[in-house]
Amino acid sequence: MAIKTCVSLYSLQDEYMNKRMTLEDIMKYLAEHKVEGLELLPDQMIHNTPHPSEESLKHWDYLMETYKIKPVCSDVFLNTNLYNNRTLTKRECIDLLIDEIKLAHRMGFHLIRLVSMVPAFVIEPLLPYAEKYDVAFALEIHAGMSFGIPETRGFIEEMVRVDSPYCGLVVDAGIFCHRIPRVYNDYNMKVLGTNPKVVEYFNSLFDKGLDGTHAFDEQHNMKPELAAIATEKDMPYIMLADGYENTPYETLDKYMKYIKHFHFKLWEMADGEEYSVDYKGLLQYLHDHDYDGYVSTEYEGNRWILPGHPMVEKEQVAAHQEMLRRYIQEMEG
Amino acid sequence: MFDNNVFIKGTCKNITADNQITGFELQTHITYYRAIPLSMVNDVKVKLDGTEILREQIRCSVDQEDWFTLDEMQTVTSYKWEYGEPLYIRVLKENGLSKGTHKVELTVSTRTAYIPVPIVGTMEREVEIA
Repeated sequence: MAIKTCVSLYSLQDEYMNKRMTLEDIMKYLAEHKVEGLELLPDQMIHNTPHPSEESLKHWDYLMETYKIKPVCSDVFLNTNLYNNRTLTKRECIDLLIDEIKLAHRMGFHLIRLVSMVPAFVIEPLLPYAEKYDVAFALEIHAGMSFGIPETRGFIEEMVRVDSPYCGLVVDAGIFCHRIPRVYNDYNMKVLGTNPKVVEYFNSLFDKGLDGTHAFDEQHNMKPELAAIATEKDMPYIMLADGYENTPYETLDKYMKYIKHFHFKLWEMADGEEYSVDYKGLLQYLHDHDYDGYVSTEYEGNRWILPGHPMVEKEQVAAHQEMLRRYIQEMEG
Repeated sequence: MFDNNVFIKGTCKNITADNQITGFELQTHITYYRAIPLSMVNDVKVKLDGTEILREQIRCSVDQEDWFTLDEMQTVTSYKWEYGEPLYIRVLKENGLSKGTHKVELTVSTRTAYIPVPIVGTMEREVEIA
């Protein structure tokens, strides 16, 4: 049993988009930092996914042979709203995901992450392909679309029913925030002009051990105390502020056997710790529950860099990896 | 959320055909963190010096070979707008941008699969036409 670390290339998206780093530069960076595994969004860095050119695939093979970073998880999306006048049919959804399984297999992955809200009806038809290509698929449990959402509950119910080693869950640690990312608050107040009183309101919920979901009633209307201070300008902040959840670790107890992978979200490393998530506590929980798999650094503070400030993706990822390895070493010896 | 991706700096220029200026062009990165087929581009809006350009004057391309109107783009599923690669946007307008300084504002909206509302990004830039 062992907890292993990897890095999601999502973390380096700004470096990639602005062409300061190619995919090969990213591999070099991972190798230099002795990163064992990688997670990739093929839709982000492999052109024409799920049907990349033979040339792109050969380049991928070259990167894998040269840098020897293990391909751990491929993050798959399902474009159910490909057309603006209808939702994809069941058959269209399943066909798209079969192609993603085949691509993951070709690229050396044995796990794909299905984005939140992927419908439960894909599970049974996908299983024969998952088995044939030896690629498990796992639904992402993400803040805002977590265990309480009907689509997620439906997927889990069907997952339990089929009970296959090829169907499981990926948990995003954004459901374990004990406070809202400071970089998110700062960006919204300084750049988008969010009322500091609204930010303070959300902070106060976390101070009480609650989270942003408690700012809304069951119909998802703002609670009166928030509605009294919120204006139109605060809405972008309020819309996303309930996407940081404060879930007890014990919620995972009954799902541990299905969990294939974790996204260890990172917004800000401050003094050797992540500002919002207690990773020492979470790793201890996983260690105590014999989690055997990867935890993947997923930096998202890149979204909230103040204008005029440098991008710090590489530095943040390295600091997060260092922290995770230190804690795992302490626990596992 | 992805405002900084919108309207790549220094890309706005007049375009010519048969020695005539037929409009202007600009480039943008995607308001998302991954590639999507063009059919999932929900909308593109351009404002020139405060005035909104008519939807019918806008054309888009990912390869600079095949250009689509916004209405046509709704069915374009086999051309992908790749992450890190520009969408080329043309505004058809006789004589394009006049010499001098202009304020050009671009708004891009994309549909994602799992977020109920499209992701919108806007950026205004001052453009100097020599």
